[in-house]
Amino acid sequence: MGLTVDLGRRIELVPMDPHFQDISIGLYRREGVAALEVLVHSYSRRPGTRERLEFIAETMTVLGGMEALPGEPLVLRFPAGSDLPVAARRVFLEACKRPTGEEVVPRPLTIFDKKSQSQVQVASLGEGLYEVTLEAEGERAARRSAHIAGGIVKLSGAGLVEGHPARVALPNRQSIDPLVGLLLVRALNVRAIVREQEAAASRGVLSAPSAQNN
Amino acid sequence: MDSGSRSVPSMSGRERVMAALRREPVDRTPVCSPTSVATVELMDLVDAPFPEANQQPELMARLAATAYTELGFDTIMPVFTIIQDSSALGCKIQWEQKDNWPTVKMREPIWETPDDIRIPPDFLTHRDTRCVLDAITILKKEYGDEVAVIGKTMGPWSLGYHCMGVEPFLLMSLDDPGKTKLCLDRMKEATIQFGIAQVEAGADAITLPDHATGDLVSGEYYRRYLRELHIEFAEKIRIPIILHICGKTVDRMEYIAQTGMAAFHFDSKNEPRESVDIMKDRISLVGNINNPETLFSKGPEEVRQEVVKNLDAGVHMVGPECAIPLQTSIENLKEIPVAVRDWSREQAAGN
Repeated sequence: MGLTVDLGRRIELVPMDPHFQDISIGLYRREGVAALEVLVHSYSRRPGTRERLEFIAETMTVLGGMEALPGEPLVLRFPAGSDLPVAARRVFLEACKRPTGEEVVPRPLTIFDKKSQSQVQVASLGEGLYEVTLEAEGERAARRSAHIAGGIVKLSGAGLVEGHPARVALPNRQSIDPLVGLLLVRALNVRAIVREQEAAASRGVLSAPSAQNN
Repeated sequence: MDSGSRSVPSMSGRERVMAALRREPVDRTPVCSPTSVATVELMDLVDAPFPEANQQPELMARLAATAYTELGFDTIMPVFTIIQDSSALGCKIQWEQKDNWPTVKMREPIWETPDDIRIPPDFLTHRDTRCVLDAITILKKEYGDEVAVIGKTMGPWSLGYHCMGVEPFLLMSLDDPGKTKLCLDRMKEATIQFGIAQVEAGADAITLPDHATGDLVSGEYYRRYLRELHIEFAEKIRIPIILHICGKTVDRMEYIAQTGMAAFHFDSKNEPRESVDIMKDRISLVGNINNPETLFSKGPEEVRQEVVKNLDAGVHMVGPECAIPLQTSIENLKEIPVAVRDWSREQAAGN
């Protein structure tokens, strides 16, 4: 009787896609599989939905370095089956911000940081290791590097290298440069991301009239 | 009440809910939501998004039906919002978008004194009340034999907040109890009119939210201002009424049990076992799966734990504590009936 199906555990939701008829789009973690596999899905049955989902999935491969499963363009995983659900959510959210048809290119491993007024460079050291450095020198720059590395960790669910506060280690010794480039942009201001998440979470929650503020 | 007796023959969802509202034996505990279970994903599934699904009866009915067709609940409740009646009374509404709730602009009250209170002649033909009545008629025709169709009419305390503003209304209740009672007495006519109209449209039961919530109003306030009015509603709206009040309400449950209402829809801030003990089978309890922390933020395992906690406590009908967040996942909602069925099977096997 029902039209809903078992898609796994929903780990992220865009409730209204501004680029396609305000449909909701979810990211589902498949269950019963060894490695992380995520499905981009919408319950919308409006014509054009499938094409929108395919664009988002394709964008996730470019921006986040994810791979589509053979024959399943809407099911994605990280190389070597890296278990990075937090990163997958971030990649999904960033992909949904892009209008269908927009040219998408991977983000570089360098960016200008307004706060330190310095160029930030993330060096890929191989085997999943990355090191954040600033063009500027000194203690403040070192602290800022560590702060940015911490941001990448927070947005990806990866780990810091013990004794190296500016080094990030992705799981399975697997480097994923596009993912780190994407996260670098947001890692400069993680607080803004947290505020964005909190605002999104509070939207659509009904309050009693006595608790409303309008 | 017998929650899942082997001796009770298999029931339809409607039979199950109506029996539970009378505290009669049921084949299993009903899964019941006296408030909204609409989500943005369900809106997409049936192409019935907010705000239009609160204004057009066909869309309202289509979205509401997913509670049964997709989630497997024993009830369908099409009145998603708490603003339909207030809109028809003349309040200004912020309709919002698909992903947010419409709200009354309470900073722009329409009434100040008892003499201002007038039920407009088009109250029941206004688009936003008519939508509810027509949606109930549609649902009753399509699903009336299978599940219970539940309506909703707002109580006068809630209407007071909406029509007079939260702060002015509460201050009046402190400064001038006589004037407050007069206001409530006049506003109750809207509650009764809309409730009876929904009975005539085919509703099996009516939710009556009256937001004398635990955070702002004491149990004594409930006794002083609302108990008698609620007794009157139970007498005049002649189908089972499910009273809904958010927040911690154990301090007024004794009074609520005296109203003659069929059920109380209670919040997860109240312990199920303590609530069952207070009510002593004088009124059914429905709820109280937590919305923000469990249904919205956690997974099916945690939902199941709360369902079982309520079932073990003897809560008569299980469901969300209030209108669910619009981004709640479908898998969490579907877990409620699955957990109820599993629990009932285990109980039956253990008997």
